[in-house]
Amino acid sequence: MPPSSFTPFELLLLKSRNQTDTAALLMLAWILANKARALPEDRDYLDTLAGDFHHGHALAPLIETAATQDMAAIQLAAEVLQKDWQGEPAHPFLRQAIALATSGGPPSHRNHHVLRFLADLLGVAPGALSALFKSVTGQPLPRPEDPSRAGYWAEREHRHQRRAHADDTAQARAEEDARHRRASETRRREEAEARARRQAEEEARRRDEQTRRHRERERADRARRQRERAQQRRHEEEAARRRREQERERQRGQEHDGTRPPPSFDTAHALRVLGLDDRASRGEIKRAYRRLAQLHHPDRFHAQGESRMALASRQFQRIQKAYEHLMQDARFV
Amino acid sequence: MRDLYKRLGVPADASPETLDTAIEACRHTALRQDADAVLRIPARREAYDQLHATLGDLGRLRARLGLTHAPHWQDDVANDFSQDSDRSLSRHQELADKLDALVAGGDTSAASRRPWRWAAALLGAALLGLLAGAWL
Repeated sequence: MPPSSFTPFELLLLKSRNQTDTAALLMLAWILANKARALPEDRDYLDTLAGDFHHGHALAPLIETAATQDMAAIQLAAEVLQKDWQGEPAHPFLRQAIALATSGGPPSHRNHHVLRFLADLLGVAPGALSALFKSVTGQPLPRPEDPSRAGYWAEREHRHQRRAHADDTAQARAEEDARHRRASETRRREEAEARARRQAEEEARRRDEQTRRHRERERADRARRQRERAQQRRHEEEAARRRREQERERQRGQEHDGTRPPPSFDTAHALRVLGLDDRASRGEIKRAYRRLAQLHHPDRFHAQGESRMALASRQFQRIQKAYEHLMQDARFV
Repeated sequence: MRDLYKRLGVPADASPETLDTAIEACRHTALRQDADAVLRIPARREAYDQLHATLGDLGRLRARLGLTHAPHWQDDVANDFSQDSDRSLSRHQELADKLDALVAGGDTSAASRRPWRWAAALLGAALLGLLAGAWL
């Protein structure tokens, strides 16, 4: 039997003490091969994982096999895994796969799809996979991006530019900071000298200030006393005027009550239309008329229909007639 | 992620000239724009081809493993990269067959020589027996 009829991976699998572990290691090596940028510590991570596995052979051949994208070997490994790990038992392996795929940033495009393939292979639902991803990376599982769209590339270039710009500004800011520091150093020295000078000036100014304030306060007091006196005078005049007015009012009222004849029927009716009694003054009549005319103006009822408008216009005419009558009445001149 | 080559109707390793004519001839405006932006710039085409190859592999793997209708295989990717389910070729079965053949005694050419070998062995044993008898 010539050994060449077995592929290298088949030989590894046959020699392995634990076929499932060997298959899992090949899958992890495949993820490593599909990374956008493989970090040196990824290889170390894979080495430590291999130390825990019970496969009993070297890791290097597996990594070589995965690097050539040998699909026959990967299919064989997938079949072994599919047979042995379904659902819950596959979670630790998926955790390792996610940790490896995301060690240098978000997973590469290829690993996005490889991780999802492994989840399907091992019967892990999308919800469970996102939970695993979240628990490993602390971030929700992003949707795979789509490089077959022009928008993806435009966005990517935009991001690059922005990052370059951010770098530029960061450098500029550092220089700015240094300049600031130098400037502030000299400024501090100058300030220290200036402070002593300023303190002396301050002292002198404070003394001046005190005397000035004292004088001002005296002046303000005088002004206030004058103002108070003037106000008092105004109050007294006001009170006197009010007293005089009240006196006159009373006299007019007595006159009104006593000497005036009662209003005619028309006048009384007009006053009632405007909602006033017969002691109303000319000003009160005007005010009442304006208020009622506004209230009953037909234009206000335009929207409420023909009949409502007609009613309002009749009321408005009544108010107008009453007002005209009262304005011609000799009593209210 | 769509298979632009499939949608344009060209092979994945098409030369830039073939690709140009296919893009010019494409009637679908959005597809033409995307293909123009992605496949005509070498760096972008390289990145796209890498992912395209992996997805092609995954599509084949899924077809062989019965995973063409799985919850993580959806949308454009599933539409463009799925292949007909083909569970006939199981590598595990292949390996098992090889092992059986090995256990049974090697490859077919060895098996064809086997009766002759058995006969030779029997003859040898008989001769040995005769010799022993003659000696005694």
